[in-house]
Formats: sequence, C-alpha cells, structure tokens
Amino acid sequence: MNESSGAPERAPVVLVVDDEAQIRRALRSVLTAGHFEVVLAESGAQGLERAVDRTPDLVILDLSMPDMSGLDVARELLSWYTGPILVLSVRDADTDKIAALDLGADDYLTKPFSAGELLARVRALMRRSSGVKVAAREVVAGDLVVDLARRRVTVAGESVRLTRIEFDILATLAHDLDRVVTSRMLLERVWGPEYVADTQALRVHVSHLRRKIEPPGGVPYHILTEPGVGFRLVAH
Amino acid sequence: MRWQRAFTWWGGYPAAVAVVAVATVLLLVARPFLQPAHVMLLYVPAIIGVARLSGVRASLIAAAAAFLALDLLFVRPYYTLSVALPADLLTLAVFLLVAAVAAMQAGRMGERERSSLRRQAELESLNGLSSRLVASESAVRIAETVVAEIVRLLGIQRAALYGIDGMQAKELAHAGTGGEGESEPVFADWVASHAKAIAPLAYAKGREEHFPASVDVTEPLSGASADGLYLPLQTGDGLEGVLYVRPGATTLGVDEVDALLAVSDLGAAFLERRRLSEEASRADATRESDRLKSTLISSVSHELKTPLAAATARVTGLVEVGDTRLDDHVREELVAVTEDLSRLDVSIRDLLDVSRLESDAWRPKSEDWPVGEVMGGVSARLTAEGRRRVRFAIPDGLPQVHADFAQLGRAVSNLVDNALGYSPDPSPVTVGAEARGPEVRVWVEDRGPGVPDEEKQAVFGKFVRGSASSASPGGTGLGLAITREIARSLGGRVWVEDAQPHGARFVLSLPSGGRS
Repeated sequence: MNESSGAPERAPVVLVVDDEAQIRRALRSVLTAGHFEVVLAESGAQGLERAVDRTPDLVILDLSMPDMSGLDVARELLSWYTGPILVLSVRDADTDKIAALDLGADDYLTKPFSAGELLARVRALMRRSSGVKVAAREVVAGDLVVDLARRRVTVAGESVRLTRIEFDILATLAHDLDRVVTSRMLLERVWGPEYVADTQALRVHVSHLRRKIEPPGGVPYHILTEPGVGFRLVAH
Repeated sequence: MRWQRAFTWWGGYPAAVAVVAVATVLLLVARPFLQPAHVMLLYVPAIIGVARLSGVRASLIAAAAAFLALDLLFVRPYYTLSVALPADLLTLAVFLLVAAVAAMQAGRMGERERSSLRRQAELESLNGLSSRLVASESAVRIAETVVAEIVRLLGIQRAALYGIDGMQAKELAHAGTGGEGESEPVFADWVASHAKAIAPLAYAKGREEHFPASVDVTEPLSGASADGLYLPLQTGDGLEGVLYVRPGATTLGVDEVDALLAVSDLGAAFLERRRLSEEASRADATRESDRLKSTLISSVSHELKTPLAAATARVTGLVEVGDTRLDDHVREELVAVTEDLSRLDVSIRDLLDVSRLESDAWRPKSEDWPVGEVMGGVSARLTAEGRRRVRFAIPDGLPQVHADFAQLGRAVSNLVDNALGYSPDPSPVTVGAEARGPEVRVWVEDRGPGVPDEEKQAVFGKFVRGSASSASPGGTGLGLAITREIARSLGGRVWVEDAQPHGARFVLSLPSGGRS
C-alpha cells in the first residue's frame, strides 16, 4: 500500500498528529486503505506546520503528546483552521477530551478503536464539512424520529409534544447523532452564550424531555448521560 | 535597682520606719539649733521619699512615726506626749495634716509610675518573647520559650505547657524548680477536654466528679490556697494547649495574672500558627503523592494502550476495510485476534482501574443521580446477549443515589457481566433498586446456581473465579474486586445473598441523596 494508490481525482487529505510511531503507521495503513491521502506529524509543533503547508481536509489529533498538549495544538489550529478535528484519547474520563470538544473539536475516539470505527467517524465528519449544506431534515434513532424541518417528534409513531427548549435540546443532540454534545455546547446553542454555566437548568430540562420520549422505567434508552461531559443521543 | 526591693519588702513598712529612724537620729544631733517647725519641715521630704518608693500605706506609717518622734523628741517637754506651748500644738497638728497629704499625693504618683514602668517592662518582655517565638521551629521550642519566660517574669515555682493530642494533654515543656505535681496531668486533661480555666483548691483522689468549677482567672490568685492555675490556650480556631503555673511562695496579683494571660495568648497564637503550617505541608505532601500515583498509572496506561491501539487498528483494518481480499480461513483467524485484542483491552482497563482504586488515585466525584439515569449507561454498554437477557426494574419515586456516575455505572456493569457469565443463557438477569433507610440499594439477580456460603466473601477477591461455574466467564477475575473497591470509595458496601428459588443476588448499598 502506498500513498499514490486511490481514486484518480484528488483524495481528501488527513493530517495525523501523534507522537507514537506505532499509532502513526497503523493509522496511515488504515486511512490509506480507506482512500485518504495521509500526512503524518510526530509532534504538536510539526503538526501545526504541516497543517499550514497542506491545509488538510481533516485533522486527527492525539491529546497526550510530550512537546505541547494536544489541547494547545487544537486551540492554535482552531484559530484559523475551519475543517473538522477528530481527537484521540486514552481514557474515557479524560478532562482534556471535554475541553477539546468545548474548544471546537468535532469528535473523539478512545484508544483502542477499530479501523471501521475510525473510518466511519472520519467519513461522517468529512460529509458534514464537505459543503453539502443540506442537513438531514429528519433524524431517526430507533423508534424516535425527530423532524427538524417541521419541529415534530414521534416515538413509535406517536406524536410527542415538546416545549421549545426541549425540542431545541433534542434537535441539537440529533444534529450530532451518536456523538457526545457537551453541556456547554448545549447551553450555548439552546439558551445562548451567556448561559453556559447553568448546567442544573439543563439537567432539569433533559429530565423533562426524557419523561416524554424515553420508555417507562426510568432507564434512558435514547438520551444517555456522559458524566462530567454532557449528553448523547444514541443512534440504535 | 536591687536596693529598691528593700522598700517593697513586707509592704515597705520596715523600710518606712527605718527611714524615719535615720532622719530622727540626724535631727537629734542638730536639735540644739532647730525649732520644732524646722524639724517638721525636714521630716516631710523623708515621708515623700517613702511614699514614692514604698507606697501610700508605708508613708502613712512613716508620717505617724515622724509625728511621734516630733512630739517626744523635739517638742518640749521632751520624752512625753504632753505639749507645753499652744503654738507647738498647732505645729504638730499642721505637721500631721501636711505629712498625710504629702504622703498620699506622693504615694499615688509613685504607684502610677511603678505601674507604668511595669507595663513597659511587660511590653518589652512580650516583644522579646514574640521575636524568640518567631524563630522557634517546633511546638516544643515554642513551649520551652513560653514557660521559661513565665518563670523569669513571675519568679514562680513551676510552669508547664501541655500540647493537645486528641483529647489528651501531653507535656511539651516545663520550667522552674518544682517537679510535676501528682494531679497535674489529670487536671491538664480536664482542661484539655473542657477548655475551661481552673484553680483547684484541693484535689481528692477518686472524686473526679467533684472537680472544682472554673474560676474567673483575672481575679488575683492566692498562691497559698491553690496548687496551681491551669489555663486553656485558646485561639479562635480551638484549643492549642494547656498552661500550668504553680506560684509556690509567690503571690499572683492582678498585674501578674494579666501578664500571664498576655504571655499565654501569645503562646497560643504561635502554637496555632505552627499547627496550621504543619497541616498545610502535610496536605501538600498528600497531594504530591496522589499526583505521583496518578502520573505513574497514566504513564503505564499509555505504554500498554499504545501498542494495543496500533495492533487493533491494523488487524481490524484488514478485516473491516473493504477492498482487501482475504481467504476465509485467514479472515476467521483475524477475527479471533480482534477478539483477543479486545479481551486484552478489558484486562488492561481492569488492572489499571483496580490499581487506581486501591491507591485512591481514582477519587469519586459524587453527586446526586437518579438510579435509572446511571443504569442508562449500564444498559447501553450491554452486548447483544446482554440486551436479550437483562431487564431493569427501577421503581418510581426512589431517592437519588449519592455517587460518582462513572464509578457506579462501572460497579453495576461488573455485577451484570458477572451474572451473565455465571448463569446459563437464556435465563434472565434482573437489575433492580430499592430504598432502605438512608441507603439506596442496587441489586443484580440471576437464575444461576448461586454462590455457596463459604464463597460469599471470597468472590470479591482478586482473580477469583466461582467454583460453581458451568459456563466459562470471559472476564478478568477482577470485576467483583473492582466493584468492592468502588463500593468502598463511594462509602457503601457490596455483598451477595441467595436469590429465590435459586441464583445469586448481588447487592450494592450506597448513601442516598435528595429525592428526585
């Protein structure tokens, strides 16, 4: 496998910033097999340089690197770069991961991950940022259907009445289906940037929303709590 | 100014009489040349002198002595109290008046002067004391400095300073010539636990309940009747120690007790400062060791997970990424490797979690959560088999559980995995919850063979596998140990009981929070 194999038209460029050679090699072989052109960087500083040189279509960024924290790289990158950033972290409960999402990173993967999972995330992020601006009019998550255009929600075919705030929360989660949306992002998008600290209010509204769309029994099936981070609407 | 001591000895009365006697002898020599009025004038400075040096009462004595001497020796007829001339009677009367007024005035001035000198000395000594205390590095050094200063200042028999160890008083330092009294540690303990000053009049053995009531220690303390004075060294923050002083022959007056209180307040302040700085440095050390532990664990985690992540990505790349052609046998082998790698991932995670929990490097961030909300995460992590077999029975209106969301979810997931592994497919596994007093209990019940009584404790050990296992559970043997560590970290308990009609019921009991 080498980098020239692939479609005749320009292959999307993925920049991988990771200090571990094993991970860089593995990601190169997986991404190349998935028809991406791969640019590697072994440090945060090098990553920033390569990003300027090549203007990648997507950046995969390891959060724990010796020279500068992945968070600093993300912060600097996001000051001019508008493409998607996928963050890699070792632990589920990684505060850096939450901070990176809050900064504007688009998604994260916890090591170890499978090649299929990685490619699915990368392709989903690319689709979202590819300029095809037609957002899904309808999001389906199991028996839950969120009609974003008509602002209507059905569970197992039954229409559910939501308040404006409940619908906005659900729509924000549906927009990032199966991805964690941080409390900060939810508050910012639903209430506005001046309310980002009011996580208690968010919890109350989410619990009302759950009462309307979740199955009885009190165990959430659609909206999962990601402790310390936010919420996730499960695709099913 | 040692000679001045002579003027305060025995209240200064002997000195007063002596001064008048000396003056009288000198005047007797000059008697042939002196009128009684002259003699009278010459006595006045002596009386004023006594007043300044010995106080009002001594100078009144001096005035009376001088009056007698004047009458007997200088007013005719000599050697009798009778007076010949009416003018001399007037002289004597005037003398008595002048002497008394002068004595009172001078005496008051002298007392004021002495008291201001004493205050100055006291301030200087407190000043010197505090600069010595600043340099003291330990509580014992502070105690030594304080008791030495008290003995020097008051000239008493014994001073001792006790530190507080729990509710017990422990001697830090003593000074003076007297040894430790028999009842001293008992009284010191009493003061340490009551934070009240006492001046015990007597202490009868075996009658501990008759401890003397606390006294107002700003009142003068008579050295004769009390064995000693016990003062709690108190700051706004609490009790720092107990100071014991035994006056011996010295009488402690208002001024001395004031000085004593000033010194003990200063000592208390310095003991408190010392204790706070020790506590702060201990807290720093704990934080540092916690930081080292979690740094170590996260670097081990990084070292183990990096090759695992690389291998997983490569192997799954071969299996999952479409256009590589693999023959079926190789594909099967690779799928098996993928499964092995994911088991390795679980083992690494379990090992790291158990070390983080055991070394307290995984501190819970507890909040109030509805039990069902936490179970949502447990449910989402289930495998296909788990989704088929596990059902949740969380009643409405349960109090919230006070726990760390991730830890609780992990603990219950482990119980569920254990139940799935030790009971035959497709028998059901039920996850339920109930309120019990101040606790919320989350339980996981299966329809397997159950846990024999002799293994009910041991199942929570590390790397233990149940003997009754007919299935071969795929776990690391750490799941229940992690659950037990999490229960401990969250301030709860976990145990296993028999389910009816058969099976095991694992119960995780945790403190409840507010009502949802």
